[in-house]
Amino acid sequence: MTSGRVQRIWRFVALPLLLIAIWQIAVSHYVPASSLAPTPTGVIRGFVELLTSGELLAALEQSLLRIAFGFTFALALAIVIAVLVATWKPFAYMVDPILETFRPIAPIAWVPMAILWFGTGTYAAIFIVAYAAFFPIYVNTLAGVRNIDRGLLNAAKTLGARPTFIARAVIIPAALPSIILGARLGMGLAWAAIIAAEMTVGSKAGGGGSGGIGQMMFVFLLYRLDLRYIVVGMISIGLVALLIDAIFQLIGRRVSPWLNRGN
Amino acid sequence: MLGRMTRGAPVQWARPVVRYVVSLGSFVLVWYAASRWENNPNLLPSPQVVFKQFVLMVQSGELLSSVWSSLGRLLLGYALGALVGVPLGFAMGMYLPLDQYISPLIEILRPISSIAWLPLGLFIFGVGNALPLFIIFYGSVFPFVINTIGAVHQIDNRLVAAARTLGAKRWLVIFGVIAPAALPLVLVGARIGLGIGWMAVIAAELVGAPSGLGYLITWYETMLLSSRVLVGVFAIGMVGYLLDLGLRKLSAWLTPWWDGWRAND
Repeated sequence: MTSGRVQRIWRFVALPLLLIAIWQIAVSHYVPASSLAPTPTGVIRGFVELLTSGELLAALEQSLLRIAFGFTFALALAIVIAVLVATWKPFAYMVDPILETFRPIAPIAWVPMAILWFGTGTYAAIFIVAYAAFFPIYVNTLAGVRNIDRGLLNAAKTLGARPTFIARAVIIPAALPSIILGARLGMGLAWAAIIAAEMTVGSKAGGGGSGGIGQMMFVFLLYRLDLRYIVVGMISIGLVALLIDAIFQLIGRRVSPWLNRGN
Repeated sequence: MLGRMTRGAPVQWARPVVRYVVSLGSFVLVWYAASRWENNPNLLPSPQVVFKQFVLMVQSGELLSSVWSSLGRLLLGYALGALVGVPLGFAMGMYLPLDQYISPLIEILRPISSIAWLPLGLFIFGVGNALPLFIIFYGSVFPFVINTIGAVHQIDNRLVAAARTLGAKRWLVIFGVIAPAALPLVLVGARIGLGIGWMAVIAAELVGAPSGLGYLITWYETMLLSSRVLVGVFAIGMVGYLLDLGLRKLSAWLTPWWDGWRAND
């Protein structure tokens, strides 16, 4: 059993370690220093430098705050609209074709308009985040509400519950697993979109303070030309993405423990 | 679906069309009213101005040439993603040690979105065609690999066992049994990858390409020609929609026995 475990661990670390070693040796021995190519050890030093100077955490904090605002807004709006579309026919006929027209438009495509409307700052980023998160939440909530057992709804109606009470006590809890799945997808998309938004805004704002991790990376590219810091930014983006996803999985298991799906 | 509807009374298909027209018509009306209220064509151009610019951009050929250069990049990068991702996914799905060696690398790289590679890619490749290609490849390869592995794993072992019992050789088992049985879920990965790839093209063109729809919208944004930006934005949505629709139709045609497509709409 232990030898099996050793083999599994070896197979897990073998390829990443090999590639990191090749990267280190190739850059430090065969690439001229003037090429600015970073080494793995240089990236680790850069990581420590950015952490101790507080730059990295400040940029991440700004990006995450924007995500939090835009996402909360999208979540509330998407749930309300999806429940209305699923339960109130005239509203569905009015709203659904409009939403289906906008749904295929990638959130990133709105970046230039967002800059025109909201300037090169926080509001543009929040708009992009909200737009990116809205559609996955809306689509999944709608599917969740439509799949609710009719028997539950009929029972609530027969017992004389009012529409607002049915929405709060029957529809939302029954659709909750779908809502959380949509929220998880929406959050993933929002995290990718905000990086793109901050980069594009950053490349326009002339290095000025729009802030956020995306803009920080662009500043390192254009003005300080330090590739180590760019790689640190990429790794941080990946770590935050993993963390966000883990949190949503945890919430999903907490909120709907009766679903023992293996993801 | 259309066939079933037309057989009934004409009112049956007329009703959804009327609803559609009413819905989008009132949206355009609200847009028109808002543009009159705002009265600043740089911020919110009216619908008829956007339509006029759309016609002008189609006539000058500008819109189509942007669509083609974005589409060309997308298809090339996406094809590379499929060429690498699908065989790798099959190999990893069928041979566990390979999965154990390569999966960690994939799980390390996957959370780093393709967009996060833009600054480094811009430094390495510069402004041009290589950057969007790399970003699209990176964005679409993971859905291909992961869905192909999942597709191979969900295949009913009895199918493979039956083929072997009947004396099928290894390659016949792979191409005659495993590949068709995996196809529906591989195509789901293809659909996810196409969506991500299209987003990646636009993102890459926003910062580092001299042509294409992403470049077009930033270019007109700096010129403050919002009406033309909006034409580009709607074109991006339209092309994205048509790509998805085309792939769905292709998938339904390739795998007529599988009905997950209808559930996935």
